[in-house]
Amino acid sequence: MNWSQVRTVLWLRWRLTWNQFTRGSPLNAAIMVFVVALGLGLVVAGGIGGLVGGGLGLAKASPLVLLAVWDVIIVVFLFVWLIGLLTELQRSETIDLNRLLHLPVSLKHIFLVNYLASHLSLSLALFLPGILGLCTGLMWSKGVVMALLFPLALSFVFMVTALTYCLRGWLISLMVNQRRRRAVIAGVTVVAVLLGQLPNLYFNVIGRRHFSPPRRNEPGRAAEASPRQQNRAQKPALPPGFLSAHKFIPPLWVGNGAMALAEGNAWPALGGSLGAFAIGAMGLISAYRSTVRFYRGEQVRAATKSAPKPRAPGAGKTAQRQFLERKLPGIPEEAAVMASPFFRSLTRAPEMKMMMAVNIIMPLLLGVMYFSRRLGPPGEAAKPFLEAAKPFVAAGAVAFAFMSTVQLLFNQFGFDRDGFRALVLLPAQRRYVLLAKNLSLLPIGGGMGLLFLVLVTAVLRLPPWVVLAAICQLASGFLLLSMIGNFVSVTAPYRIAPGSLKPTKAPPKVMALIFVTHLLFPVAMVPLFVPPALGLLFEHLHWFSSGPVNFLLSLAWLAVVAVLYRASLECLGNFLQRREMNIVQAVTQEVE
Amino acid sequence: MTLAIETNGLTRRFGNFCAVDGLDLRVEPGKFYGFLGPNGAGKSTTIKMLTGLLAPTSGTFRILGEDMANMHRAREVKRRVGVVPEDLALFDNLTAREYLTFIGRMYLLPLPTVRERCQELLEMMNLESEERKLTVEFSHGMKKKLALAAALIPNPELLFLDEPFEGVDAVASRILKDTLKRCVERGATVFLTSHVLEIVEKLCTDVGIIAKGKLVHQAPMDQIRRNGSLEDLFLKAVGSERVEVQKLSWLET
Repeated sequence: MNWSQVRTVLWLRWRLTWNQFTRGSPLNAAIMVFVVALGLGLVVAGGIGGLVGGGLGLAKASPLVLLAVWDVIIVVFLFVWLIGLLTELQRSETIDLNRLLHLPVSLKHIFLVNYLASHLSLSLALFLPGILGLCTGLMWSKGVVMALLFPLALSFVFMVTALTYCLRGWLISLMVNQRRRRAVIAGVTVVAVLLGQLPNLYFNVIGRRHFSPPRRNEPGRAAEASPRQQNRAQKPALPPGFLSAHKFIPPLWVGNGAMALAEGNAWPALGGSLGAFAIGAMGLISAYRSTVRFYRGEQVRAATKSAPKPRAPGAGKTAQRQFLERKLPGIPEEAAVMASPFFRSLTRAPEMKMMMAVNIIMPLLLGVMYFSRRLGPPGEAAKPFLEAAKPFVAAGAVAFAFMSTVQLLFNQFGFDRDGFRALVLLPAQRRYVLLAKNLSLLPIGGGMGLLFLVLVTAVLRLPPWVVLAAICQLASGFLLLSMIGNFVSVTAPYRIAPGSLKPTKAPPKVMALIFVTHLLFPVAMVPLFVPPALGLLFEHLHWFSSGPVNFLLSLAWLAVVAVLYRASLECLGNFLQRREMNIVQAVTQEVE
Repeated sequence: MTLAIETNGLTRRFGNFCAVDGLDLRVEPGKFYGFLGPNGAGKSTTIKMLTGLLAPTSGTFRILGEDMANMHRAREVKRRVGVVPEDLALFDNLTAREYLTFIGRMYLLPLPTVRERCQELLEMMNLESEERKLTVEFSHGMKKKLALAAALIPNPELLFLDEPFEGVDAVASRILKDTLKRCVERGATVFLTSHVLEIVEKLCTDVGIIAKGKLVHQAPMDQIRRNGSLEDLFLKAVGSERVEVQKLSWLET
């Protein structure tokens, strides 16, 4: 491969990115130009900022401060890099082997050029000048020894890009299968969300134990501390193992090296440079081996080996048939036959799994934080307040569970995509289509609600009246949201990109409408809190006990909503039939 | 005489499954060679190996007289070969002109030549009016035409086409056929796979039939015509000559 071909592939990478962002409308092009201008400004500002920051701002900084500064830069860079990787997996086209190998180039060259092209990323363009500027500034202010930061920072960048390339290659080889592709994108997104929560977990759970002030119920403790302990308390308190971790966690080697260089010790920087370079090289070698394996079809062979053995004829079909043919008690058969496949389809959608995983993990994280922050049993004065708050917490748990299903309920046809055409062709009454859609979401919304309710009941030991009332609130909340969701889904449908939760094809007008309709969610949740509030009021006025009042009012509200829901189906079904063509246009692909 | 394509025991396995089993092909230069076979017979795997998209498990092959095991020579040979792969290998976010420019530059054509040929190819394929569209917005037929234009831009001596007529309307099909005929008339070799026997019968000068990874028949089209129809030969060669119409009892009543 000669230089002309290298330039051509780099041009291709740039052109694909440019077209991807400017595609569609002049507004997108204008935004892209603005983003590029802003990016260039940030590149220049980053370089100058790094130079000035290193040369002047950190001139008198202690080694520990240098370590902290580098740690922050590295963590932020890695986070932005991860988001970039995610975006690229979701949106961009990969310059894969199948598109280039029939051209007059070799496998090795394509691999290298592809790796080089992977450096054309926004995150690297934004951070690298700043990092290099900071290295230069530190060299200027703290002496020539800081020049060792250059190989350290560059080998760190090499390590990140090489490992990312290796990971991306592996993901892409997995994503050859379209169904698995969506699962991979969903999985990576979940990992990114969880990684984003790590600082939160660290500062709220682990860090809190080390940075927390003396407890309020032990006022004399600080005063009784020895002078040595008081002196230690005035210095920045580092968690145990904080500095040791910098020796063993590769991304922290840059900070460790900078701190050691400021202390006059060059070995950690040299070791870090070599280590990061070695890891990067191993990543690149591994990526190349994967590429060759892919070319030789060895991954296909592995997949063949791990493929499950074919079932006996009819064995698998029986279970599937049973599920899809299941009748739902009290539900018209026309709706039941649609509800089961809708539900089956939802449970197989990776975006659904992604949504569920995030929604289960986030409350667990919140739970961990809640328990780790509890300092002891509540005081006697707080007990009545906590008792009174329990019905509201239960209603809140129900509302929180629904929050995760809003995007599904408010855009029920957007996830069907081209499959919506099949719904249009169905000879079914449209009110049953809506009913089936709502029923398919019931196990998800209702299941999440029940799960949260069980958790809250176990943690707060909710009284039976509160639990019963919360179950009624769960049902009424779901029916009310379904009603609103049916209306919004028919009024403002938008296509969801496969494997993501990202709206596509949505013009600004529809986006604004989506935003406004999503504001209906809190409005729909307000009635859930009315029965507990009235129960509290009744108890405050010494008329009735709050528990039964809360339950009876919740039950009455459920009855009202059920009647409304039943009445709305006919009307919204007709509305759906009138707008079917608009929905087809919005949620399906434009081209053949 | 140097053969355009020559394979010796070309084999490709995927685990225990043998997609192509000891294929021995001989395609003379200047021929319009139709490579036929039922679904899953190994046509696309063969074309992928011949174009460098897939490594063979065993066996050797020569393209335009050059041994493709020699990496350096293989790269040189690829500059004389045009390919329309099975999945077309287009980039969704490029316009037709951008894609042709990219391919032309990868073939190391001088920039003025690339521009000139791009313009001519876009006009010939009726794609010049779609300048602003990205290929993702193209119809299937337009994509096929673009892929063929990309294969033609280096003025290749040998063209590999994997199912070029699949999903293409009559107008686009006519353009493709005329273009391919002109290529053969000027001395190029065309190697195509297709399911449409009528097209192969009309266009090709030679035919090879592959079934279960093995080459079961190879003959000039004239000889096939003398002995009957291509369809009969094909069905006989792939072992499906006794095709019986399946009946569905509930459809009869």
